[in-house]
Amino acid sequence: MLRPQTFLLGALLATPALAGGPLAIRVGRAETVGKGVIENAVILVEDGKIVTIGEDLPVERGIPILDRPDWVVMPGLVSCYTRIGLDSEGGEDVSPDVKVTTEIYPGSRDLRKVVEYGVTTLGVYPAGNGIPGLAAAIRPRGDTLAELLLRDETYLKIVMRSDAPSKKRVRDAFKKADEHDEKVKKAREKWEKDKKGGAKKDEKPEEKKMAQGEGDEPSAAATQDAKADDKKSDGFVPPAPDAKSRAFVALRQGRLKALPTFASASDWLHWLDALGKEKIGFDVRLVLNQDSDLFYVFDKKTYDLEEDGIGDRKVHAIVEPLLTFTPNTRRVRNLPQELAKAGAKVCFTPRSDDLANYKAWLAHVGELVGAGLARDTALRALTLNPAEMLGVGDRVGSLEKGKDANMVFVDGDPFQPATRIQAVMLDGRFVFGEVDL
Amino acid sequence: MSFRRTISAVATSTLLWCLAALASCSSSGRAPDLAPLRPGEEGLAIRCGRVLTVDDHDRAYGPGLILLKQGRIAYVGPDRDVPEGYPVEERRDLWAAPGMVELHAHVHGTMGDINDMVFPVNADLRASPTYVPGNRALRLACAGGVTTLFGIPGSGTSIGGFGITFKSKVRGATYDGSVVQDPGGMKVAQSYNPERRAGDLGATRAGLSWILEQWSEEARVANREGRVEPLLENLQKVHARELPVLIHSAGSDGYPAAARMWHAKYGTRAILSHGCFDAHLTAPWLVAQGVPLNVGPREIDFFSTRDGAITGTAARYLEAGAKDLSLNTDSPVVPQEELFLQGAVAARYGADAYTMLRAVTIAPARVFGIGDRVGSLEVGKDADVVLFTGEPLDPRSRVEVVFIDGRVEYDRRQDGQWF
Amino acid sequence: MIRLQSLTRLALAAAFAALPLRAQEGGQEGSTGGGEEAAQAPTDDSDARWFAIQGGDIYTGTGAVLRGATLLAKNGRIHAIGYDLDVPPEAKTLDARGYRLYPGLVAISSQGLLGNASGDFRDTIDPFHFRMVLGLATGITTTGVGSSVVKLKRFSVKDAVINERVFSTFAWSNNNPRGKSELRDKFAAAARYQREYREWQRKVKEQKDLPEPSKRGIDNNVLAVLNGDTTAKFSTNDRDELLGVARLAQEYGFRPVVEGCQEGWTIADELGRAGVRAVVTPRARRTKDERQVFDGGSSIENAAILHRAGVPVAITPATEGVDLGGLVGRDIMHLPLEPGFAVRGGLPERAALESITLQPARYLGVSHRVGSLEVGKDCDVIVTDGDVLHYKTFVQWAVVDGKVVYDKEKELFFAHIRPRPEAEAPRKIDAGETPPKPEAEDGEGEGEKKDDAGGDERRGDDEPK
Repeated sequence: MLRPQTFLLGALLATPALAGGPLAIRVGRAETVGKGVIENAVILVEDGKIVTIGEDLPVERGIPILDRPDWVVMPGLVSCYTRIGLDSEGGEDVSPDVKVTTEIYPGSRDLRKVVEYGVTTLGVYPAGNGIPGLAAAIRPRGDTLAELLLRDETYLKIVMRSDAPSKKRVRDAFKKADEHDEKVKKAREKWEKDKKGGAKKDEKPEEKKMAQGEGDEPSAAATQDAKADDKKSDGFVPPAPDAKSRAFVALRQGRLKALPTFASASDWLHWLDALGKEKIGFDVRLVLNQDSDLFYVFDKKTYDLEEDGIGDRKVHAIVEPLLTFTPNTRRVRNLPQELAKAGAKVCFTPRSDDLANYKAWLAHVGELVGAGLARDTALRALTLNPAEMLGVGDRVGSLEKGKDANMVFVDGDPFQPATRIQAVMLDGRFVFGEVDL
Repeated sequence: MSFRRTISAVATSTLLWCLAALASCSSSGRAPDLAPLRPGEEGLAIRCGRVLTVDDHDRAYGPGLILLKQGRIAYVGPDRDVPEGYPVEERRDLWAAPGMVELHAHVHGTMGDINDMVFPVNADLRASPTYVPGNRALRLACAGGVTTLFGIPGSGTSIGGFGITFKSKVRGATYDGSVVQDPGGMKVAQSYNPERRAGDLGATRAGLSWILEQWSEEARVANREGRVEPLLENLQKVHARELPVLIHSAGSDGYPAAARMWHAKYGTRAILSHGCFDAHLTAPWLVAQGVPLNVGPREIDFFSTRDGAITGTAARYLEAGAKDLSLNTDSPVVPQEELFLQGAVAARYGADAYTMLRAVTIAPARVFGIGDRVGSLEVGKDADVVLFTGEPLDPRSRVEVVFIDGRVEYDRRQDGQWF
Repeated sequence: MIRLQSLTRLALAAAFAALPLRAQEGGQEGSTGGGEEAAQAPTDDSDARWFAIQGGDIYTGTGAVLRGATLLAKNGRIHAIGYDLDVPPEAKTLDARGYRLYPGLVAISSQGLLGNASGDFRDTIDPFHFRMVLGLATGITTTGVGSSVVKLKRFSVKDAVINERVFSTFAWSNNNPRGKSELRDKFAAAARYQREYREWQRKVKEQKDLPEPSKRGIDNNVLAVLNGDTTAKFSTNDRDELLGVARLAQEYGFRPVVEGCQEGWTIADELGRAGVRAVVTPRARRTKDERQVFDGGSSIENAAILHRAGVPVAITPATEGVDLGGLVGRDIMHLPLEPGFAVRGGLPERAALESITLQPARYLGVSHRVGSLEVGKDCDVIVTDGDVLHYKTFVQWAVVDGKVVYDKEKELFFAHIRPRPEAEAPRKIDAGETPPKPEAEDGEGEGEKKDDAGGDERRGDDEPK
């Protein structure tokens, strides 16, 4: 063991040996989320990744050890639906081609601040009330967008309300996608006719160039997958969809997920009605208010719905940690708990993008735990569920071998109000807390 | 003298009326006057299918006979031979019930005459100068079976003034011919209204209470010293329990506050009117105080309790054991002729229907101190009788004839149907 | 006693025999959306959704009463009404012994029962809104909203709108004499066009090149009224205006719906001859214009007099929205009270019931589906604890499309008022309000079998027994 020596955060980061080199952390308890609870856990971190994690693992001589038997470690929190650090304003537009990445400002003070509250992954979305565009998963540290970006085009935000414009937006967008399909069909017919007729071969590369020119984002999941599809094809390169239809074509092809937002139970039924026969992947964002009636659509069975409930679809459901009332009463309801019970994968978001709500995030979730929400569900709803929702569950969201070393160290049960965050590690580096080694 | 209501407690309301009708007891406090009608005396014998006396024993007769003589009831009981000299009205298809009594009416005059807004306390104002006998609203009231009303100033000021107790006569109605008592009682508005409108002091309930107490103390001192202050004469009568006081109040804050001041502290003949919103939450305390309650015009509460239930307020007061609960329309807030409907909806929302008939007849009469004259069909009382085509609280039952002081004031067959 | 009962049954059954007792398989059902079923063999009921309400006194709304009878619904339609019916064992059942069945009430107009919906109700209806629950608690299962007709199909946004563009609203006001003459001109022009068009239709078969008459200057709404595609709606209370509307209607041969109609009783015969249909509020007040020597002003007898003169009467309350402020008895939540005031004025009870069931259904063009309990119609039924027009009566269950969508004991609003004897105490704890108990260890909902079982129990309660 090293002689005890106190490093300030800055000093710690400045030490090259510790920045990338191996470090062993021994804590009283690890909430791994993926693999249950490990008492007296030892975590070996190297090159920003978790090399190994286990109970009372022996540590090789020479590897520095951080020994904190009174600490509890949990995965870094994942805030998958937020506009923290962003300040543009959206309208009622349909702009499914807009990417939130265009407005991310790496130097944002708020982004740096949320790290102190344990947040190590964020899903940020573009502002607006119609179909405002595509969200991205980022880490809250880095000097450039490329350093921040974990995954672009993680979901397409759609604001869904029980009104005709909301449904029309969705239906029209799919109509646009239909037009594109028609275009592809015609292009294919032409291509096949040309091929049979021994048409000139030099037309093809031109088409391909155009296609690539349209979908030019390097990390765009939708575009990349589209190219993968191309490889399987017989050489035909379909025309690229235009800006308005690209996202909905991707939705249909399963390369992108939608994230409709609902504020009341009827919004869900109107969403299903607007989708009609479309089969697309989606998760949901639920806005809770005092008298929320969303519980009516958590499952099909309780109220004998004609349609599936939200839980029946096993979707991720993003909610704020909020106790509500049975409408018109003061009878408290724990809707996130009901939602989990119905089969949805609950993801918590702070009550708002206000820093105060980020700071109180764990405490707010703690209120729900106090009101009956299972701890496991709560932990998962803060970490692995939102990570999976963002499509980065293979990298973050739990403490497992090979995953990014994103960790929050607290001095007790994370859901007890007196518990404080002692340190936060992001990609293997302590980014918050006074850590003496 | 069996207590018929025990039998009927299990029955539906309609059945209740029928069961009650089986009663065959006669006589009440006073001995019936079965002497023949002498020439020059006014009188009428009415034979009805059912007679609901709404007396202390809830006696009902089917068929029954009522003798009206010189403006009073000379006999009410089972059908029998009619004494000589009486013209007989054969209405075996109809039900007879006492004329209804309204303690909170503003339709005695024109709506422009309700409040003088100069002073917060108007202990010397009277409603009588604003009274328009037989006005249109009162004609409808009569046709709706409401025969006695306490017409009062509005609730814009802490003491609006003194109301007038009168009958809803319509045929050549005059002040002298209609008034029962003038002043009939005082009107106080305490919580929910005066604080929005009164003068410089009295924008809050603290100021309002202070003003009310200030004036009350003066009146009480005068009473103790045996003086009569010219401007406090009537207020002194209230504090001497010579006149009742009807207090506009509501809410779980205002209702008990009014009871504390006027009932517990000053011991006046206070009647708490309205009792709306969440005032019903204080029902057990109010009932324990023994202060009479006059509920309406709002009969349900949903928003203030937030327990998801639509609460019938009258039902809640009854559950708490309220005696002589009465209902009001606050006419024209609810049209005066729909006083019966206040009973019907109170019954709908949980109160016992027959008790609600009492709540629009004998109960208000009694708590107001005129129970010896009106509110039930008993020998010696004013001959205010309403003939219905059925159950009095059912909107489908029509009022056929209304007698006030023994005279026909409304007869549908002659007048056409007013309501 | 038993003999008497069966005699009554026989008599009633006989009286009822005039009605078709069984839907013709695939017949009427095929006409609206049941096309697939019609195409199938009539005996294939394997997917059918059966629902039976048993043992109640069935007030069909057409005058018949069947005591202690059964109403059987198949796929949301009334399949049979009567005694000793073969109820398939898989049918959901509701024990209505001691209760009455009435057709679901039809509000000619209401506000707010569909939540905050507006515009196209297909896209805006809120089938979870508490005002919809209150509407069902009132007994309303179908309502006119503007020019649409919507069923209070709780828990579903589909197939709730059953008719649209029912009304075209026109003004006819003494204050606007020019408007009156303009409207008259529009009707004259549209009638002329209609004649010309029909003539052209006849002649064009021979004269292929005959030009179609010009539609220029023709008011489409007026033409639609004359063609019977929409119903003209007026709103007036004034005797003179009512007469004007009646003359217009008589002249051009259409049957207007007139809201208000307060002085209708003074000219009931004229309105009856003209085929006017009235929407009245019996308690509405209007003072007579004393300058007129004619009768005038409102009358509590209005509905009765109109009815006697052959004017159909639909009744609407003074407030067409839900009023929970405490002043009780004048809003849509007390719809069944209002016809009581018409009865007070002499309207027969049957007409009073029809004024909130069959008549509004006819005005709204949906009487082939709702408004009475008849075989082939939608199974929209209310089960009450007494005479639906009595002030104390509560709707115990409301059924829409053969599904229980309201149960008084399961909702917080009225459960505490005279609870059903056999019903359990009103549910104090809702799903999710259960006192906190530890969830299954995996905590993610997949393994929540125990809680599902709990849900089953609750569900069981919800189901009609």
